[in-house]
Amino acid sequence: MGIFGRILKVRLAGDRLECEHVPLDPEVHRAFVGGVGLGAYLLWRFAPAGVDPLAPEAPLIIALAPLLGTPLTTTAKLAVVCKSPLTGRISDGLSSSSFALAAKRLGVDAIVIVGALDRLSTVHLNEELHRCRLEPAAALSGASPAEVGEAFAGAHVAAIGEAGERRVRFASLANDGRHAGRGGAGAILGAKQVKAITVRGDAIATVADGEAMRERARDLARRSRGAATDKYRRLGTVSNLETFDRLRILPARNFQAVSIGRKRARKLSPEGLGAQGGHVRAGCAGCTIGCDHRFGGTRLEYESLFALGPLCGVEAPELVLAAAAACDRLGLDTISTGGTIAFAMECAARGLVPWSLRFGDDLVPWIERIAAREGIGDRLAEGSRRLAASIGQGSERFACHVKGLELPGYEPRTMQTMALGLAVAARGADHNRSGAYQADLRPGVDRFAADLEETPPRVIETEDHAALLDSLILCKFLRGAIADPWVEGAELLAMAAGIDLSGAELRAAIRRIVGLRHLFNRREGWTIAEDTLPERFLSEPLEDGEVVSRELLQGMVAGYYRARGYGADGALGGAQLERLQLGRWLEMEP
Amino acid sequence: MVEVELYGLPRLYAGGERCQVPAGTLREVLLAVEARFPGLAPAMLQGGAVTELVRVALDGREMIESADYPLGEGAVLVLVSAQAGG
Repeated sequence: MGIFGRILKVRLAGDRLECEHVPLDPEVHRAFVGGVGLGAYLLWRFAPAGVDPLAPEAPLIIALAPLLGTPLTTTAKLAVVCKSPLTGRISDGLSSSSFALAAKRLGVDAIVIVGALDRLSTVHLNEELHRCRLEPAAALSGASPAEVGEAFAGAHVAAIGEAGERRVRFASLANDGRHAGRGGAGAILGAKQVKAITVRGDAIATVADGEAMRERARDLARRSRGAATDKYRRLGTVSNLETFDRLRILPARNFQAVSIGRKRARKLSPEGLGAQGGHVRAGCAGCTIGCDHRFGGTRLEYESLFALGPLCGVEAPELVLAAAAACDRLGLDTISTGGTIAFAMECAARGLVPWSLRFGDDLVPWIERIAAREGIGDRLAEGSRRLAASIGQGSERFACHVKGLELPGYEPRTMQTMALGLAVAARGADHNRSGAYQADLRPGVDRFAADLEETPPRVIETEDHAALLDSLILCKFLRGAIADPWVEGAELLAMAAGIDLSGAELRAAIRRIVGLRHLFNRREGWTIAEDTLPERFLSEPLEDGEVVSRELLQGMVAGYYRARGYGADGALGGAQLERLQLGRWLEMEP
Repeated sequence: MVEVELYGLPRLYAGGERCQVPAGTLREVLLAVEARFPGLAPAMLQGGAVTELVRVALDGREMIESADYPLGEGAVLVLVSAQAGG
């Protein structure tokens, strides 16, 4: 399926919903491709400037993509795009599911939800608009996303857990057990009193070149099963932990250490985790890689493992798995959950708060308090930035976030390309929109010392590469199986949707997407002062002396914007907008 | 001797976690590792060079790839998966 040229706009008010098809400009996919790119365009268009992310008028966007629904492997993905209630900046989370495939069969390229209901409900969306309806969901209040799925057995469901209902600022939106986690999209649905969304339709968009698509799908599936994806398939991303520990990249105890020691790391390796009730492998809908590793029945990735394990001083595999299962059940982003708890643990250790919270504690009771906003959990539910502001006493220095988003599992002081990538990323500290860690681990790159001239282009290259894959949408785990993503991306767009772009034109489109995300943040109050790292990384050297130079980081941030063709202060003026061919898109009315 | 540690895919393919091989150039050391762990070839090691799936960190720090890189007595080579994403 290619594209439909329209979106489904869902307006919620009181106990009613109105659904309408809104046509898209015929050029919009050439300009923004799909996925996070299309989502950024729709967010710009439908979010009122300065809107409170939890206000009724704030949109939640489920953006689909041109490759979704084709036989290409790893394309059953959607992007959930919003103004983040955690950061106040753009947020876009991806997840893979049969829900994504079913959403496309509504016959639209995106779903835009605005307004709010006056009681908790399920929104049933249908290709035939007169069949769209609301269903009271009081009986589902507090249910896990999995339980909601069981309540609508046979339907394709996206749902929030208790955390979303309570508007926890890092609540996720789950579908098929996968979560669009980062940034708090679940809180937005909770604020709209939407517990779940189901989708039903039979629409099929025409594939521009079906025969070429089928042939390419077979070829890509073959490549996806090769050695380039072997790590994800055979070990899973959890295998990063032991390696990162050895390379002194692994954040531990709220970024106070970069290693937990070989024996402890080994306990959290695939072998160690597998001893906890077995190790089973699965895969996302329509995927031939199969990177989904479950230990004792709980799905676990590196980011969840690091955040709910070493970051919080937790060493026992069974405790990490229990915490990950709790986040799944309650609908929470695991990185922000672990990051916020780890910060609170350090505050307690320093005597800044009188809380009985210690590194190494069982996290499950704390996770449950966060989701229920019970007691201290209510304060943790606001995320580490707001928590630090309320605790004060200098705690902001070690609240490990960028733009309010908690850091992923890569230590910036020993990965200094990543340090810049984290600082400038539009959605905050992020490893999925900036894959700068890849550059740090390449031969010829000194990951302990950044460079004013060479580091910014490396960050831009990995950012653009990620934006390409996230707009098409293709899984990043395929990157090693694709020789030239710009050329192949353009070929796939032509086959799927008849969008003829050269590799260079596709690159220009991706630069436009990155520019629009930046413009959105500027509109919502961004200044270049946000593009930095927490004070800890700038003034607390690790035991071998590694630290991020404040002056160098500031210089690299300016260099990053210059290399993007913006002003050194991140300004985008008329000439830059013209070069990016963004101007006409900024003037679109909702 | 050079101490060689294996993590991730290299460890999986090798079926072993570590070994000691005589000091020499990176190529000579990797040939010795390949001989010690034949399962590493051809996906991970080929003729004394790493494939695109593997990175080599000297003492767990600098990533090296030059075949002529000299590795002296006591050096520690860490072989890891090239893919770091998570």
